[in-house]
Parts: sequence; C-alpha cells; structure tokens
Amino acid sequence: MSAKASKGVYIAAFVLLLGGLGYLIASGLSQGATPTLSVAQAKESDAADLQRVRLFGKVLPQDIALRDDNLGVAFIVADEVDPAVSMRVEYRGAVPDTFKEGVEVILKGDWDQGAGVFRASQLVTKCPSKYEEKRADS
Amino acid sequence: MHFAAYVGLLFALLTSLFLAGLAAYASWQSRRGALPFLERGQLLNAGFVVFSCYLLLIALVGRDYSFVYVFENVDNTLSLLYRITAFWAGRAGSLLFWHLIMAVAGGVFVFTRGYRGLSDGTKSLYWLLFNLTQAFFLLLLTGPSNPFIEAVPAPADGLGLNPLLQNPGMAFHPPLLFLGYGLFALPACCALASLLAGEARPWIRVCRNWNLLAWAFLTSGIILGGWWSYMELGWGGYWAWDPVENASLIPWFSATAFLHTSLIESRRGALQRTNVFLMAGTFLLCVFGTYLVRSGVDVQSLHTFGEGAVAVPLTVFMLGGLAIALVAVFLGEKPVYRALSGFTSRQGMLVITAWVFLALGVVVGLGTMWPVISKLWSSTPVGLDPTFYNRVCLPLFTLVVLVFCVCPWLGWKEGLRDMRGAAGTAGVFAGSLVAFWFAGVRVPLALIAASGAVAAMASIVLLFVLTPRMRSSRHSWGAYGVHLGMALMALAVAFSGPYKIEGEGTLHQGESMQVGDYLITNGKLTQERSRAVLAYKAELTVTRDGRTVGVVHPERRWYPNSRNSFAEVAVIPGLGDEIYTTLLGYDGKDGSVTISASVNPLVNWLWIGGTLMSLAPLLLLRRNPEPA
Repeated sequence: MSAKASKGVYIAAFVLLLGGLGYLIASGLSQGATPTLSVAQAKESDAADLQRVRLFGKVLPQDIALRDDNLGVAFIVADEVDPAVSMRVEYRGAVPDTFKEGVEVILKGDWDQGAGVFRASQLVTKCPSKYEEKRADS
Repeated sequence: MHFAAYVGLLFALLTSLFLAGLAAYASWQSRRGALPFLERGQLLNAGFVVFSCYLLLIALVGRDYSFVYVFENVDNTLSLLYRITAFWAGRAGSLLFWHLIMAVAGGVFVFTRGYRGLSDGTKSLYWLLFNLTQAFFLLLLTGPSNPFIEAVPAPADGLGLNPLLQNPGMAFHPPLLFLGYGLFALPACCALASLLAGEARPWIRVCRNWNLLAWAFLTSGIILGGWWSYMELGWGGYWAWDPVENASLIPWFSATAFLHTSLIESRRGALQRTNVFLMAGTFLLCVFGTYLVRSGVDVQSLHTFGEGAVAVPLTVFMLGGLAIALVAVFLGEKPVYRALSGFTSRQGMLVITAWVFLALGVVVGLGTMWPVISKLWSSTPVGLDPTFYNRVCLPLFTLVVLVFCVCPWLGWKEGLRDMRGAAGTAGVFAGSLVAFWFAGVRVPLALIAASGAVAAMASIVLLFVLTPRMRSSRHSWGAYGVHLGMALMALAVAFSGPYKIEGEGTLHQGESMQVGDYLITNGKLTQERSRAVLAYKAELTVTRDGRTVGVVHPERRWYPNSRNSFAEVAVIPGLGDEIYTTLLGYDGKDGSVTISASVNPLVNWLWIGGTLMSLAPLLLLRRNPEPA
C-alpha cells in the first residue's frame, strides 16, 4: 500500500473511532446523566424536575428510623450550607456501614410529592478515605 | 523533632531551587562543569527528604501525638503495621511519600548506565525540569500540606486510623500507586529534556525500565484498590467509577497508550514527538489525579475530599507542565520523520490500541469532570453514574481485546504473517461465540468480550506453539503474560458484571434463602471481644442441590475508639462462582441476621489476571536497557 493510501486508511479509521466514541458518549449521557442537587436546590425546584436526581446533604441526628429488617432507613437530610433547609428521605436497601448522624450522603431517587418524601433507591455515604478533612471533633 | 523534620524539607526545597538555577545556567551557557554538582546535589536532596521521612516514621511508630499528623492518623490501639501505613494515610503524608519516591529515584538514576550515556545538554535540561518538579512538591510540603505541624499540648491519644483503612490493602494499595506516580516523573523530565536538547540517544530506551516499573506499580496499585473495595469496603463490587478511583485510572490509560506507541518508536523510529507528549502527559495526569482528590473541586465523590488549599498551586503546575510539553513538542529539535507502516500491520494495530486507551482516558476524565463541565449550561451540576462509564468504556475495552486477537498475526510492515495462527484464533473466537450462546450468555457485549478474551488467550497459546523461539525469550513471556492477564480480566468483567446474582434478607436461626442456585442457611450468631474490636459473627451454611459448598462467617465489627461499626465480608472463593456475604444487621437475642449475599461468577479471574499484569512486566526489565 502506498504511503498516501495508508495515511488515508488511518484517517478513515480515526474518523470511524471518533464517530463511534461520539455515539457512545451521547447515548451514555442520555442514560447515565443525573442532575446532582443540594437539598436547597432541590427545595427550590419544581416537583416534576425531581425525578431521577441525585441529592447530596448531611444526615440530621433527629428522626433516624432504621427498618426492623435493617434493609432501609428513614431520616432527614439537610443542606450542607444551610442546615435549616431539609427534606424527609425514605430509603429501601442495604444501609451502608458508614451511615449515621452527621455524615454526608449522596442519594439517588425521586421526589414523591403526595407523601412529601424523597424516595431513594441508592444511598451512598461519602467514604471517610485517606484524604479526610479534619474531623469536626478534633 | 518537628523543627528538625521541617528543616530537612526546607533544606531540600532550597537545594532543589539552587540546583534548578544551576541547571538553567548550565543549559544556557553550555557549562559541563555543573553536572557533578547537579548529580551530587540530587543525592543531598534525597538525603534531606529521607531524613524528614525517617523522623515522621519514628513519630508514627512511637505514637508521638505532638505531631498533628500522628494525632490525626494514629491512636493507642493501633498495631505497628497500621502505624507504619499511616505514613500514607493522610493528605500530607501521602504527598511526602510520593516526593520521597521521586527524590530517591532521581538519586538512583544518576548511577544508571542510561543516564551516563545521555549528552550533557540533555542532562542539564533534565536536572532543570526534575528540580523544578521537586521544588514544587516541596513547596506544598513546607506550605499547605506540611506533615510536621506541632500540637501543643500533645494529646494523650490520637483519633486513629479509620477502621476501613485498617486492612492489609492499606499497606500496599496507596504506596504502589504513589510508586507509579513518583517514578513517572523521571521519564517525563527525561523525555522533554531529550527533545529540547536534540538528544541523539533515544530516551525511550534509556527510560525503558523506569517506564515499565512505573506502569507495573500503577497497575498493581489500581488492581489492589479494586480488590480492597471488593473485599474490605463491602461494596460488593470492584470498581464504582468514583472520581477518586478514576483519578488513578486516567494516567494508567495514557501510560498504557504510551507503552504501545513507544514500541513503534523503538522498532521503527516513528511517533517520537507523540511519545514525548504522552509521557509528559502521563505525569501531568498523575498530578491531575491529585488535583481531583485534594482540590475540593465539586465532583461529588463517594470519598470525602480534602480542602482546596492546594488547588491553585496544582493548577499552576499542570498548566506550566503542559506549556513546557507543548514547547518541547512543537519547538524542540525536529526528530527524523519516519512514516508509519500500513494500517493492516502490527504498527497499525498498536496505533489503534493507543487511540482506544487515550479515548478511554478522555471518557473517564470527561465523566469525572462532568459535574463541573455541566455547570457551563446548567444551573445544577449533572453527575454521571456507572451506567455512563459502563456504556462507553465496555465497548472500548472489548475493541482492545479484539485487536489483540488480530495483532500478533500481523507483520510489522504489512499484512498477515501467519495464516495458521490467524485462522486458529478466528476459529476459537467463532467456537466461543457459539459455546457461550448455548451456555446462556445472551448479553451481546458480554458475549463478544468473553469470546474475544478466550480467542486472545488462544492466540497467545498458538503463538508459543507455532513460534518455538518465543518459548525461550524472557521478553515474549513478559509481553504476552501482560496480555494474557488482560484477557483473563476481560473474561472476568464480562461475566462478573452482567451475571452477578444478588439477594438480601432477614433470616431467623435455621431459616434459608435462595440466591441463584445456592441456598444460604443461618446458623448461630457468636460474639468475640478484643481490646479494639467487638465482633458479631454469623454462621451461614451454603448448599447447592443439597450438597454443602461451604460455611462462611460474615461479621459486624464495632470499633469503640472510633464509635463506628463495620461489616467484614466473608466469601467462599471459587474459580467459577464466588459466594460473597455481608452481615448487614443482627438481633443478639434471637440470633436472627440480615444479610446480603451475591453469586459472583468468574470474579477471581480478575485478581489472577491482574496479578499477572502486574508481575509480567518485571520479565521485560533489561539489565542494560540501552546497550552502548
């Protein structure tokens, strides 16, 4: 194959890969993109916009109710900046070890307007990893 | 002691700055006489850093809580192993460890044959760049990330290491990552210096061992991290696509792309500037990973992020490094231009592999930064969950596996070089497709990936059968060992992801639950107490078709010192199915337990393949990477 023809094949392959990648990214974004809101932002949003969102905030100490079978918990999540702004959450599923009052959580789920609660299908507590900031009690 | 340790770092900083100035002067004036000073200066510099690290280690082992760092990461109940590992458990300590690797590697490099063979111009520029990098790290360590701050008065006990970090994984995972990060600094500086100075000797050969070692360390660090999150953190998975996990994966992608394009340079002399850019980019991406983890950038991770004090300096360093890399690539000495061979050649396949790895790096980088990027048009940040990564990355990984089935049978210049091998591999691929289909694998991507992985393994076996000289080549065992490891990992991912079966439930004593083909029965609940831990252990008997497969004891451990309770998972390992159990809760009175259990098919091939990928590169190391 001549050098020119070979270059053409490389360009064609690159364009093909780029096109495939673009398609994958676009379809990935349409399925995997979830608006991430603070509790304050969620409070300001329309109920219709609170379907399939991620919510982050801090677990308040009062009203934490673990289900009897340990497979769920109801609690109040407060905005990280303004703790006075809060939301009731009901979560079904395995409760992470690190879940307790005061921890920061990321919740995935929908707002149930009728019941006035955020129904979470996923609850992740931030991993207190090696890069942890100074603890509040230190 | 705090003062002495701090002064050690301060002297190292001053030495680095002085040496950078001297190297700049030597480069400008072409003074050869400065080189011995620069080389001995690096040894002195490394000596200062080792001294400071030694003092920190003594403080950690001796529980000297007058160091704030020790107070934050150690307590009176912590065992010696974890007091040592606390060195890299915190922000400042991990940065110091990274710098230690860099400084010591810089000192060792002076004595290598490869370094001695470089031209004086390249050496001077290398020391300029390397000392500027060291000075930057030392600026952080003597400023916003100082590990030697004194606590007055010294507390009687410390806060301790988070129980999740009290795992053997902590002794290996972070230091391996930092070893990888630290070692990449050296070839990155060498590559840029070579291009800027118009070095006649190929830096790729000079730095071959350093590249391979850095890559092997980074690979093993990432894989151990996956194993750790699977076993210890009780996530039940090995990769969550969390920003902190992605932080180490992005430079791994670029380093892997580089390893493939560097082959083209060392065999055919092409892609010289691409390689310099990829190597410099890899090191900058290691810094970018640190930026992601510590800058406080709003990417909402599972992990708690550090404060943003280092964000600005890290950004400045990355932009400065990028500018130097662009200057070197566009304005450096023009290498002799060599065209690539045809597309249907081994070179062509290596280029595609590099493209795919770079694409993976871009995708993961884009996904990680998406909450920040999306703020450009959205009032609220948009996060991407694992669905996005799996959807985009898995097809790309599958493509890599398929390319690997084809690549070994192509010649370096053009066309098929061995028809028998290619036909055999194609036959195995087709046979695997049919076999997996009838075995019930119907997810298209899993089917292609699994068949590709089997065909890739078959191609390696065929290569060694059909090419006798490869059997006696250490290099062949190393190179194909890495690829065999990758094929095993691909097979594991293709099955353990889509075919995992999970179940959760509360079981009273004697009660059972079904998870897939397995029946899990609750036995008795026991309690064990030690000074640091109170543990509740369930006893679960796992049977299949009435036959006992094994008994597992998942635990919940209560750590009074940190007032936290954590699950210790228990598994019945297997090369086929692995049974994975977690104790979510218990009732001490009636012995009932709430458990989650999963059947993870082929998951252990992930660790076997990963181990192979981490160790096989050691066979590629050469005593004399660059023969005189």
